[in-house]
Amino acid sequence: MATTTLMVRRRLLTRSRSSGGVKIGRPSFLWSLPAITFFALFAIVPLGVVAWLSLTSWDGIASPHWVGTANWSAMFSDPVFLKSFRITALLVGLGIVTQTPLSLLPGVWAAGYQRNRAILSAIYFIPLLMSAAAISIVWLSLLNPYFGLPRELHGVFGGGLFNGGFLFSSPATAIGVLTFVGMWQWSPFHTLIYQGGARAIPEVLYQAAAIDGAGRFRQFFHITLPQLRNTMITSIVLMLVGGLTTFDSILILTQGQPGTSTEATSYYMYVKAFQSFQFGEASVIAVVLAVFTTLVSLIVVRLSGWDKMRSTQEGI
Amino acid sequence: MPSGVASPPRIRLSTIVSKTFGEEESLTMMSSHRWLRRGAVTGAVAVAAGAALAVGGAGASGAKATASSSRPANQIQILAYGDAQNTVEKWAVQQYNNTAEGHKVKAILNTIPGANYQSKLQTIMSTSAAPDVFFNWGGGSIVQFQKAGLLMPLNSFFKQDPALKSSFLPSIMNAAKIGSNYYGIPMRGTQPVVLFYNKALLSQDGVPVPATWSQLLSDVSALKSKGVQVPIALGGGDQWPTLMWFEYLYDRIAGPNLVTNALNGSKSVWGTADSKKALGYIAQLIKAGAFGPDKSWDSVKFTAGQTAPMLINGIAAFELMGSWDYSTISSQGSTATGTAPPNGPGAAFVKAGKLGWAAFPSVPGGKGNNSDLAGNTENYYSVLATTRYPQAVADFLKIMYSPAFAKQELAIGNLTTTTNTPSLISGADATWLKWQYNLVNHAAHFQLSWDQAYPQTDTNAIHTAVANYFDSLSVSQFVSAMEGLKPAG
Amino acid sequence: MSALRATALRIAPRPTTTRRPNYVAGLFALIWLAIVLAPVYVLVKGSLQNQEEYTTSGPLSLPSHLTTENYHLVFQDGFLKFFLNTAIITVSVVAIVVLLVPPVAFAIVRNRSRTVTIVFRILLLGLAVPIQAVIVPIFYLILKAGFYDTLPAVILPTAAFSIPLSTIVLTGSMRDITSDMYEAMALDGASSWRTFRNLVLPLSRGGLATVIIFSALQAWNGFLFPLILTQSSGVRVFTLGLFDFNTANSVDAPAICAAVVLSIIPILLVYLFARRALIRGLMGVGGK
Repeated sequence: MATTTLMVRRRLLTRSRSSGGVKIGRPSFLWSLPAITFFALFAIVPLGVVAWLSLTSWDGIASPHWVGTANWSAMFSDPVFLKSFRITALLVGLGIVTQTPLSLLPGVWAAGYQRNRAILSAIYFIPLLMSAAAISIVWLSLLNPYFGLPRELHGVFGGGLFNGGFLFSSPATAIGVLTFVGMWQWSPFHTLIYQGGARAIPEVLYQAAAIDGAGRFRQFFHITLPQLRNTMITSIVLMLVGGLTTFDSILILTQGQPGTSTEATSYYMYVKAFQSFQFGEASVIAVVLAVFTTLVSLIVVRLSGWDKMRSTQEGI
Repeated sequence: MPSGVASPPRIRLSTIVSKTFGEEESLTMMSSHRWLRRGAVTGAVAVAAGAALAVGGAGASGAKATASSSRPANQIQILAYGDAQNTVEKWAVQQYNNTAEGHKVKAILNTIPGANYQSKLQTIMSTSAAPDVFFNWGGGSIVQFQKAGLLMPLNSFFKQDPALKSSFLPSIMNAAKIGSNYYGIPMRGTQPVVLFYNKALLSQDGVPVPATWSQLLSDVSALKSKGVQVPIALGGGDQWPTLMWFEYLYDRIAGPNLVTNALNGSKSVWGTADSKKALGYIAQLIKAGAFGPDKSWDSVKFTAGQTAPMLINGIAAFELMGSWDYSTISSQGSTATGTAPPNGPGAAFVKAGKLGWAAFPSVPGGKGNNSDLAGNTENYYSVLATTRYPQAVADFLKIMYSPAFAKQELAIGNLTTTTNTPSLISGADATWLKWQYNLVNHAAHFQLSWDQAYPQTDTNAIHTAVANYFDSLSVSQFVSAMEGLKPAG
Repeated sequence: MSALRATALRIAPRPTTTRRPNYVAGLFALIWLAIVLAPVYVLVKGSLQNQEEYTTSGPLSLPSHLTTENYHLVFQDGFLKFFLNTAIITVSVVAIVVLLVPPVAFAIVRNRSRTVTIVFRILLLGLAVPIQAVIVPIFYLILKAGFYDTLPAVILPTAAFSIPLSTIVLTGSMRDITSDMYEAMALDGASSWRTFRNLVLPLSRGGLATVIIFSALQAWNGFLFPLILTQSSGVRVFTLGLFDFNTANSVDAPAICAAVVLSIIPILLVYLFARRALIRGLMGVGGK
């Protein structure tokens, strides 16, 4: 999608640049001041404050006092904190692996022009409208081992795969629940992205393929998938950053349990700050989290080589 | 757009990807990763500025309690633990608001639902949102506030109104005493932890009420052989219900001194033979499948109302829980939360006499007294030092010792601790309340729940330690976790 | 994209005739649809059942007796107040965003100075800042500012975190205004204010609609800010009400279901009316 949009846009922009030079009616930088000040106050200044808080000890009652790097050395010898990276990585990885096919296929399908598509899509996107809190609460009630789905569908949940229906009792199934609920909640969103991407694939490609006698599967693997590469990267970056900050569902569904096996980094920060009142140590986690998400975004941008991809698209 | 916390970065990046192409070209012709890097540098400068700002600002602001004049005019904020028992707190606030003082200064009741109560309280105590009067468990739950000068000693109230002190059992008043000052007025009831059971299920399966540890073990195997899936319901998903088993077994086996010493700063107690013996007993029960299949308890939450229906519907036979479980079970399945009187299957279960209760079994050979109790001594109202209307607060607190209030509490199954309580007990729940009153009255020692006795900063570590032990049975892990606590606060 | 698709459409009269429906993907979509619908069914059914039936019969079973009691209960239980609070927050957030974002987007599109470029880069960087990373300092700052436990405590940060995305969506749609039009305005001697009011705002209405829906959804379903920054029931929002409802000792599952259903209705209405704008926004096109 983005690629074709881009071509059009590029043409427009090139034109505008060549005919530029008009000075009248251009806004001064003052126009940007209110928004950027407001944003900086709540997003950039806090980043500075959190860096400072990470060097203090604060319990929420007395005022913060300077402790130097004590929190940093404490956190980096905290096994739960270090383990939380592994858990976060696992959640992110599983999220990407499960959500991608579940949004790619329906997305491609919904990009078509079937008659029932609009109605089905409307239902399909309902999870998108629900708050994460509401979604987690509904699933918590549904997964009650004695009164929820595990009892009603005992044939399905009774086996070892679902830990006999005690889904929150083993690390594997607890992670499984979080992944599944994430999938339920987020797939529709990514479907929308794929739907947009698939719609932007030029019809002529399929026509040409059809003339060459390519079947549906070959069309999918040789046209649809390669053409959706940009879209896929977009979607995966979103899953990545979203997964790194999974919080609501952990708070409501597992609270980091069993043991500390679902204690993801962002949830652990919440526990440290707002349950144990070790705001200094929590700030260390916050700083690490902020640096980490920024780095991951940068690395993905770099590795995926968006700019290069764009140029390959130019030929179409 | 998707909701909640995780969403913003998702959407934002989607737009980065699709919009970047346009931005980049029109603005700077940089490659996409380069603008991000430049952005990072710009951001870093802003961050540094922010840090400087914060450090500068911090010097000026101390942990000063909010000045009373900045508190809301003509109202006192009452904060209570939110659960099925709030009906009486609502009633008390209404009573007060109907008095002459109440017309001038209105009392407003706020509740914070159970699981979040303690952490929210800590968050707000030093802010302008601090309540004038707040629910607590006495002991370690208020020590930090007292140290920070946030609490008002109630001695002056007692001078003005001696009954505010003398109406309550002295032992109960002492549990909220720090140094020579009193900081709490009892406001609900005493809440010992007892063993609840499904009487109908036990008699149907021919299983006796356990008086000793070995009987409990044989009950468990008998129940399992009769097809009871979970002999003992446990809301392990909440972690703290697990703690009750530790509190009792440590008391029964090692005697009350072990925990008292630990609270006084001794770390070595956790590695003693007695400590390990208590842990061994717990392991015995877990291995016998008393709490259902291994770790199944982690999928069950008391706070989500999941254990009461287990007991009522015969999925479980026992539950070790604080006396508040009586009202939790009674209100299970009522059409409305907090409906009084309750009208659901839980109420029918209790009315039919199917709910039984017993003291924790004795452990022969242990150092603890069989009459020792664990649980919450009482719940208290404490007063913010900077309250704007001390007189209104004093008037509000008076209601706590009025017979009418005690009757309301007794009616929902709470055992008040006023000296005249025995004479007020009547009605359908009289058996339960009288039994409980005797229990408390004859207790050789009443151990305040560990998570209340320790300061709030240790609560999470205690909960994690006990939950981990139930899952892993690792003695060394438990011992070192407990040794890591800082009881001094 | 639209231009290109128009060309494609001209070549091939109607996609339906050239593309067979994709049955494999369709089947897949249907299966997943069932999984999506199951909880929705449970939710709606549960909200119409009494608690005893909800507990004892399984979640998927057919209800034997329906009641609207739970909805009455939700309204009695203060949820109306929670919805009102949420609505106030949502409207305020949208108002702030609508007030602040169009000017900055206009400046980014039409002002090529270094300062504005930096502004734009800060906003882009802001996209990568997770709310969790700043919640502790925001809590600290809100405490110090005396806003704790008030509606502005939630409104201000929520609005601030809606700015980067909104700006980028809006710059996208402002960029689609051709420079010929700007030039025409300039030839008329229009000031930047007049250009903004008479050209930019009317032509970026679509983008603005997307921005409004985005920030409204964000505010309506917000959880972390209210969780950390408010406490008393007077300023409680419905997501927190749900959470609290769930953690209170005796849980009334049907009432929770009813509350969840009620919480979706306003958003569902917005969604049905503004589906196109929302989808276009999510597709990254920015709307027109």
